[in-house]
Amino acid sequence: MILSSLAISDVQEAWWLYAVGAFVTLFIISGSLFFAYHANKKSQELGMPKESIKKAIVSSISFSILPSIGIFIGVITMSGFLGIALPWIRLSVLGALHYELMAADLAVEGVTASNITVENFVTIAYTMTIAIVWGSLFTLFFFKKYQSKVVDKATKKEGRSFGPLLFQSVFIGLISAYFGDAFSRLFGYNTREIIDGAYTDNVIRSTTVVPLIVFLVSFIVMMFLDYLVEKKNVKWIENFQLSFAMIIGMGSAVLLGIGGVY
Amino acid sequence: MVDVYREKMHKYGRIFMVMGILVMFLAPTVIWLMTGVAPNAAQMVAGVVALSVIYLPGGLIEMMTYSPLLGTSATYLAFVTGNLINLKVPCVMNATEICKTEINTPENEVVSTISVAFSSITTVVILSLGILMLIPLQPVLQSELLAPAFSWVISALFGALGYKYFKNNWLLVIAPIVVVIILSILVPTFVNSQVIIIIIIAVIATLISSKILFNKKII
Repeated sequence: MILSSLAISDVQEAWWLYAVGAFVTLFIISGSLFFAYHANKKSQELGMPKESIKKAIVSSISFSILPSIGIFIGVITMSGFLGIALPWIRLSVLGALHYELMAADLAVEGVTASNITVENFVTIAYTMTIAIVWGSLFTLFFFKKYQSKVVDKATKKEGRSFGPLLFQSVFIGLISAYFGDAFSRLFGYNTREIIDGAYTDNVIRSTTVVPLIVFLVSFIVMMFLDYLVEKKNVKWIENFQLSFAMIIGMGSAVLLGIGGVY
Repeated sequence: MVDVYREKMHKYGRIFMVMGILVMFLAPTVIWLMTGVAPNAAQMVAGVVALSVIYLPGGLIEMMTYSPLLGTSATYLAFVTGNLINLKVPCVMNATEICKTEINTPENEVVSTISVAFSSITTVVILSLGILMLIPLQPVLQSELLAPAFSWVISALFGALGYKYFKNNWLLVIAPIVVVIILSILVPTFVNSQVIIIIIIAVIATLISSKILFNKKII
């Protein structure tokens, strides 16, 4: 035993856990740059215009900022129970706030910020890491075969083909499901209470119109911005239109909140 | 014909994936080594089994659904860096829509890889900056005023993206929207708590209606 006599807060905020966080961050940046470098080389071989690559970079960065701030709020939410470093690491790799909270709850039921031990902490960290790894393992072992046996066949173009429609349908189904997520909250949704970064046993039943309004405002703003790009030739907006539409949609939720509608 | 680039990316992707899984295990293992306190095996197994009931089939469905949209390199990258449905998948959908590339083409492979790579970098940079500036940022981000905005970021994201995909496919939209509206009225809490299942149902509804429209040569 090296540090077992330390208080849980000393472990949660230990420099070496932050060092792991920094290492994970560098690993992700290096891996991303590695694949981006190869993709860029491939784009030159294919003779793709540089403008396309620039568009992909700018639109992806601008699009990712708001959801990433949302992810960071997840770090803050979990910090009351698990400190800062572990949520930072967990939300930098495969995982999500609701998953991590559920994992913590299932691993050490009944434990709260006031009575969490080092053993609880390490048990939670392992449980979170192991149970989410399935998607990565399936990708590691089956993706290559799936791609050649299923995806290649589905996208083969022979005359009038259903292939492109197949994936168009997947996109539309995906977006419709999230419309359903917003719409269904008019009729009811359950929230598990979070106190000090962990779930309690309290389930709160509510209804809200806000996500549906946010969805529709973003949709309509996008329609307007698309009109500017396509019909009025305001091309510079193209890379930012999704971010602008999201900001205005999210702003509508703030305005509704000021008006007392949550 | 063997696609040399794709083969190479599968090789690099698998190496990256193995390294990624090891990196994920670094945090719990370092905590164990530095404190000398082992995880409670019984609690850990119980927690992993309970979560795997959802996340094992979920992982398979995610790989099968998202990988065709992401392409080779981006799939490996996204299944290490995470935040697939709330970030990487819509990010790629947006980039490929702007760059007008088609699924499973070399051009799409390039655009989706660049998109996931820069999205991943943006996320880890924002998280790191957030950690460094935690004290001034915390009260702002947790303020009651801003809370509704970030509570519904996913609705804003899919609302905006929705127009892009719905605008040229209005006929395809009818069936899944009708299905989710009916489900929302009948079982609202199921719809908003089991999104993966609702995605599958909505995709099946879209596929059936598009196949019928395709066979009747309406689309």
